[in-house]
Amino acid sequence: MKIMKNNKHILLLMSILILLCFQQSVAQKNETTKEVLQLKYYNDSNTIQYVAIESLLKKGKKTEPQPGKVYELYLDSIGKSHFIAKVVTDGAGKAKSFFPPALSSEWKAAAKHTLIATEPGKEDAVTELEVTKSKLSIDTTSAEGTRRITVLVEKYENDEWLPAPEVELKVGIQRLGGVLNAGEEETYTTDSTGMVTVDLNKDSLPGDENGNIVLVAIADNNDQYGNLLVTKTVPWGKAIRPDDHFFNQRTLWATKFHTPLWLLFMAYSIIIGVWGTIVYLILQIVRIKKLGTATDLQLTNKS
Amino acid sequence: MNSISIANTGSVSNEQITRDLLPSKFGKRGWIWISVLVLLCLIGAFAYYRQLAYGLVVTNMRDYVSWGIYISNFVFFVAISLVGSLITAVFRLTNAKWATPLTRIAEIIAVSAIVFASLIIIVDMGRPERMLYLFTYGRIQSPIIWDVIVIGTYFVISLLLLYLPLLPDFKILINSKGPAILKKLYRFQGSFWKGTIEQIKISEKAINILCIAIIPVAFSIHTVTSWLFATTYRPGWDSTNFGAYFISGAFLVGSGGVVIAMYVFRKYYHLEKYLTEMHFEKMGRVVVLLSLLYLYFNINEYMVPAFKMKKPEQAHLEALFTGEFAIIFWFAIVVGMIIPIIILLFKKGRRPLPMFIAGIMIVAGAWFKRYIIVTPTLLHPFLPMSDVPVSYHHYFPSWEEWAIAIGSLSGALLVITFFARIYPIIPIQETITERHENNEEQ
Repeated sequence: MKIMKNNKHILLLMSILILLCFQQSVAQKNETTKEVLQLKYYNDSNTIQYVAIESLLKKGKKTEPQPGKVYELYLDSIGKSHFIAKVVTDGAGKAKSFFPPALSSEWKAAAKHTLIATEPGKEDAVTELEVTKSKLSIDTTSAEGTRRITVLVEKYENDEWLPAPEVELKVGIQRLGGVLNAGEEETYTTDSTGMVTVDLNKDSLPGDENGNIVLVAIADNNDQYGNLLVTKTVPWGKAIRPDDHFFNQRTLWATKFHTPLWLLFMAYSIIIGVWGTIVYLILQIVRIKKLGTATDLQLTNKS
Repeated sequence: MNSISIANTGSVSNEQITRDLLPSKFGKRGWIWISVLVLLCLIGAFAYYRQLAYGLVVTNMRDYVSWGIYISNFVFFVAISLVGSLITAVFRLTNAKWATPLTRIAEIIAVSAIVFASLIIIVDMGRPERMLYLFTYGRIQSPIIWDVIVIGTYFVISLLLLYLPLLPDFKILINSKGPAILKKLYRFQGSFWKGTIEQIKISEKAINILCIAIIPVAFSIHTVTSWLFATTYRPGWDSTNFGAYFISGAFLVGSGGVVIAMYVFRKYYHLEKYLTEMHFEKMGRVVVLLSLLYLYFNINEYMVPAFKMKKPEQAHLEALFTGEFAIIFWFAIVVGMIIPIIILLFKKGRRPLPMFIAGIMIVAGAWFKRYIIVTPTLLHPFLPMSDVPVSYHHYFPSWEEWAIAIGSLSGALLVITFFARIYPIIPIQETITERHENNEEQ
């Protein structure tokens, strides 16, 4: 009886395993692949604008980059006069292109624009991104020991620049490895005046040789305005002189102006010693020549 | 008539010695030899023109193998040039008078080799117009600068050591029959030599000083060349033995070169009375000693790392012992060292023809030995090669590299050939004087 009970359990376990394997194989068969194209707009310091794309292939739960894919980028509509560029994705499936000067007037003409990406030969598969023209500015004040950063976001509407409320911003200080938060919060949202104000709560941050640090405000992947970035250099840091003491030492790996003295002494002693001998030997040849000429003269005088 | 006796050949007058040793015109074989060398030089010059026009991309040197056949050829030239210091200086200072007929052969090999060593470095630079930067931006801390300095110094000393013993011969050359242009050259170079006691005294003193000075410089030139490799931390080069290893190899290849030249000059100019079997016998002993010495250093260089088999060394050693460089490696060891040792250990092997064959084996083996010192190490860096074209994993010189390397070797041979046409390849005055001294002693 006990054996039968055990067998029942084993049978049950085996059935579950078989069912699981079957389900997995069916799931694998049903796994669909889907191409995903992400289109992004960037505006750096209100001057450098570019479009970036990322081409991905979704296989079930996995996502892989698609390198070597060709895309055509357009501004507002597909056509020769709206053509931005033809790009090829890199190993990470990414590509980007700046706006050509020819599209400058078209960009200025409207407040909103649509960025379009198509794959040559697949014109029906179009990816679009709508962008509202905007700009980001950063200002600073310093009073009574408080250093304040004010960031203003403006949008272009009805032929004028208006404050852009409800925009999430990251405000911080540019460091080597990323952006360090300027205030307490990770992000800030603009008020009805399109502004955020952050009090810098970090003192004595290491700056460059003149004590400069770089403040940075970023709107990251905003649905309406895209990716915006602005920076400002302020003398709020602590002046740090790079320690170049090591490079000024006289070492074997230093520049020729920092040769170790012992090496200079040795090298020049050898060079002077050997070349001194060579010069002496050349003088001996000159002596032999003079003796020969003198002998010639004696013979001529005798004859 | 002043006559002296020569061992095995009876009595020979001074006039006869002079007649025998004066440079003579090229015969038919000579012109064919020169034509072949000139043709090879021209092909090399054309290949170099292509390299100048299109850049170093015409070579097969890439990111990993950046020192290819040019540098191995350079090391070969520097090595063979060391023979000047061995035969001329070491033998002279040790009073080995039997080596007198070989001194000029050794010196001209040294001078021509060092000239082409310098040229091949300029070829390897790719941008020859930047050569001046070596001096303007060079750092005295770099072994490359030491090499530049020491090569220049060695060239000047070798030239002086070639020129000073030639002075007494100029007097004979000026008085001999020959083309007017050569007479003009001889007069320009040595008409002031009158053979006075004072001149001889100064000359002998100067030669002695040169012989002393050239030994440390010669040791330096090849030690520094070895340091170009040994100061770099790489499998196969990371050795404290490299200086001695290179110098022993250099003396061997240089002596092999002298043996070949001895045989060729003896045969072509009928110098059997001056380059006797005794000279081959003694040179044979020298060469076998040097071969054994070099073999000893080779065992050290390969056995010790092979015993430890550190991971990076393993790939390098396997490529040499059983991998893609195995044929060249074993050729250099067996043909370049072991077979010549076997030949030269026996008295019969130290006769002119077997010596000549052994000499060719040594020189050919030595050339390939330099190739396997330079290239395989570069193909086995410490960090694994990744994301590079397949061609970067291997190196075989392009036709341009072969043509330039062969052209430079031909150029060196051409210099020696023309030297032998213009100047006596065996010192005339020194031979006469020494044989007088021998007769007096007898």
